[in-house]
Amino acid sequence: MNWIKQLFSRRRLYSDLSQEIQEHLEEKIEELVANGLSRDEATTAARREFGNVTLIEERSREVWQWPSIENFFMDVRYGLRMLAKNPGFTAVAVLTLALGIGATTAMFSIVDGAFLKPLPVSDPGQFVRIGMQEAHGVYSGVSFPDYLDLRAQCSSLSGVVAYERGGKFVNSLDESSLIAVDVVSLNYFDFLGIKPFLGRTFPPEAEGSAASGPTVVISYTLWKSRLGGDPGIVGKTIRLNNQSATVLGVTPERFRGLERFVPTDAWLPVDAFAPSEMKHRESRAFEVVGRLRPGLTSERIRADLDTIGHRLAQACPATNKATTFYGEPESGRHHTFILISLFLMSLVGLVLLISCANVAGLLLARGETRRREVAVRLALGSSRGRLVRQFLIEGLMRSLAGAALGLLLAAWLIAIEPSLLPPAPIQIGPDLRIDARVMLVTLVVSLLATLIFGVAPALGASKADLIGALKGEEANLAHGFRRMTSRNLLVVGQVALSVLMLSAAGLFLRSLISTMRVPLGFNPHKNLLVVPLGTLEGSEEQRRKLLPTVLERFRGLPGIVHATCAMRIPLSGSGGGTDFRVSIPGIELPEGQESVAVKFNLVGPDYFQTVGTRILKGRQFSSGDSANAPRVVLISQTMAQRFWPNQDPIGHSLRIEKKDYEIIGVVEDVKINQIHESPEPYMYFPFPQTSYGGEMIVETTGDPRLWIPAVKREIRAVDKSALVVGIQTGADTLRSEQSVYVQRMAAGLVGSLSLLGMFLASVGLYGVVAYIAKLRTHEIGIRVALGAGRKDILGLVLRQGLKLVVIGALIGLGVAFATTRFMSSLLDGVSPADPTALLGGALLAGVVALVACFIPARRATMVHPMMALRHE
Amino acid sequence: MKKPDQRDLFPGALEMMILRTLKQQPLHGYALVQRIKRTSNDLLQIEEGSLYPALQRLLKEGLLKAEWGVSSTNRRVRTYKLTPAGAKHLDREVSSFERMLEGISRVLAPGEL
Repeated sequence: MNWIKQLFSRRRLYSDLSQEIQEHLEEKIEELVANGLSRDEATTAARREFGNVTLIEERSREVWQWPSIENFFMDVRYGLRMLAKNPGFTAVAVLTLALGIGATTAMFSIVDGAFLKPLPVSDPGQFVRIGMQEAHGVYSGVSFPDYLDLRAQCSSLSGVVAYERGGKFVNSLDESSLIAVDVVSLNYFDFLGIKPFLGRTFPPEAEGSAASGPTVVISYTLWKSRLGGDPGIVGKTIRLNNQSATVLGVTPERFRGLERFVPTDAWLPVDAFAPSEMKHRESRAFEVVGRLRPGLTSERIRADLDTIGHRLAQACPATNKATTFYGEPESGRHHTFILISLFLMSLVGLVLLISCANVAGLLLARGETRRREVAVRLALGSSRGRLVRQFLIEGLMRSLAGAALGLLLAAWLIAIEPSLLPPAPIQIGPDLRIDARVMLVTLVVSLLATLIFGVAPALGASKADLIGALKGEEANLAHGFRRMTSRNLLVVGQVALSVLMLSAAGLFLRSLISTMRVPLGFNPHKNLLVVPLGTLEGSEEQRRKLLPTVLERFRGLPGIVHATCAMRIPLSGSGGGTDFRVSIPGIELPEGQESVAVKFNLVGPDYFQTVGTRILKGRQFSSGDSANAPRVVLISQTMAQRFWPNQDPIGHSLRIEKKDYEIIGVVEDVKINQIHESPEPYMYFPFPQTSYGGEMIVETTGDPRLWIPAVKREIRAVDKSALVVGIQTGADTLRSEQSVYVQRMAAGLVGSLSLLGMFLASVGLYGVVAYIAKLRTHEIGIRVALGAGRKDILGLVLRQGLKLVVIGALIGLGVAFATTRFMSSLLDGVSPADPTALLGGALLAGVVALVACFIPARRATMVHPMMALRHE
Repeated sequence: MKKPDQRDLFPGALEMMILRTLKQQPLHGYALVQRIKRTSNDLLQIEEGSLYPALQRLLKEGLLKAEWGVSSTNRRVRTYKLTPAGAKHLDREVSSFERMLEGISRVLAPGEL
């Protein structure tokens, strides 16, 4: 192995070489001296004839080297020395890059976790999501009996599972421990190919036999974070709401259920936890996911679903007459996902672009200070390519340092992510982690950043006016200004980008505001406290007896305006909402149906005053509407208009489950599940006339949170063992409403990114104006000496910076105007050309830019004429 | 900036001259330069330094061996010597060079055009 020997004897070889060359020169000098030259003359002549000693030594050494690799390491060593020699410059450049790269990394991990990364289950590419569509185009889940029929009949699916989303309190734990649970068909884990981390999962063959008993499979996260990672957890019992369940197993860490944004904490078998829902064909509460057989198209599954839907409509007309199945391949949802991902990534790409532009600007300015070094290296025989490579390697090291720091930053952001999200009753958010995919993207991004923004400054810096630079001439004005052109371009670009980003953020903010302004049909700004009834012990019967006592005690508390109860509160996020099949005597229903499904609420006394829903016609419930009095109902405005378009509905009646209810009033439409839903018929029944579950609602005179201890005390006074958890304020329920939540998240994300972009851009602008001021110090000194006032000097420097700002802002506005319409699908209730948002963005960017220009400009006015004139 | 490189003559010319010169007698760097200059009657002016990269190449390929010793003028020198592989290489190079030269001479020979 000759080359290994060479590798180790390298040092020896090199020293031989330089000795030899030294001897050669001396021999020559001696000979020349012998021929009559003086020693000095001889030395010069010998060197002239020999050539560039350093270069020749280097060429000779190269024979033994893998030159590219060894030069590379040499450049790295030299680069590290250069970086260490200028800690200030290095720190600013690395930090700037770290911000840009860190933001990019964090954003990619969000996008990857939320949209791109395939679910960690077997064959997710073939998944089809299946739901029901009702006559009026309303989408819903699937009932369990319908699911069973689908499973038995659908030949184009190789498997299909059902799960119902819900929340439960784990009551051996602390009070805020609402967890997300899925009530699942027993083939769930088998279908997904999930092998338990500990214990077992549900046995698919036990379905329908109820033999599975009240068991639970818990997530790794729940096990680790809330159950202390107890290795003996399998076989132990935990309590969910008021039911005990034996832990059957723990899922692997990466498996978080089938919903990317709301990870599941525990899985319960449908046989044990929702036996009644297994029988009710009208209870359409299940999410259904099937796996398409390989090679089949989505048309085929749609045709299959249609056939089965028709068959069910004929077999079970009472419930399925007007409903059809619909199926959407999971991969079809990708289209939207990719669009959102692209949007978010291009946004963070802009931040990265600004931070790279900053570094490029710094490099251009620094090219000046390195002129001497460059000139010396060129004079010593270094080639320009070598210098460019040297600069690029330095840039690469900066980028890698920035990437490392950026990764740390991203890891930190991910760690604190829960506290950055708007508050929600349960843990939400996509699966964020820095894995190999994310690291790879970070690496590629930082390499690209180096290349795109390192090449031009490197080329510029490697060009040097040798004589001038070696003589030690400072960068002069003319020379400096030539370099300024590229810096000016960078700054104009940065300002334009930050205006673009701020405009986008403005649009999201406006969209959020417009969503918050949608009339809800209740007043979310009242001081409301929502206390889940489920916290009371015992059966529903026992709770029913306790409820009036508890409400009475609440009313006795100081500062309580109203205390009432309801089956559900508006926008409670529980999804569909229960409905009754309603028939209306004397009214023909569309498509010959006998009855329609209408959602409803059960409410206690003073409910409408408490939440602020207006009664439009007739009267509200009174104490007279007792359990034995005639049955009464209040209907929503939309219901009144749909079924009694030109008449007064009051006095008419509805028939539900063979009982008649008299309509006594009409109330305004209320948002049931989502702010952006269109109004639909809705009914209210008084509590004493129906059975119930649900929530207690308390209106207070001040911040409702202050009443939480008192409320808990009163409940415990009535029911010693009550577990009082999940108390929320009315405002919280609005905040956790889906579209408000998503828009808050979007506005927060886009807003903070654009602020970061603006910050970086203003740093760049500051640098440029400071540089201009420095170049003009001499000139300013002369002007001051000739009697120019501070104002003149301030104006002089400011004008130069502001010109860039104005040009950048105009370009940014133009681009914003042209591109924001691509965002329209992401915005609710705002035109993508909304002038307030666009001009607001430009204005904010302008003001910050002004400050960034003003500070260095002001410093320029402090220049003392004597100092300035002596400057050179 | 760049000085004309001697090897620009034609590739391998310098190496061939070094090998040929060393075939007669082992020499150290300085003496080698002098010898080449003298033999060519100063027709070939080589930049002395450019000898060293060529020497390193030949060393690396095993065509030469080098040894530190003391010269007749009592100077510490590194003497280069042809190896058997070097001798073989020189023969091959010379014969191919002669063939090339013959070809060129024929083309350039007067009277046949």
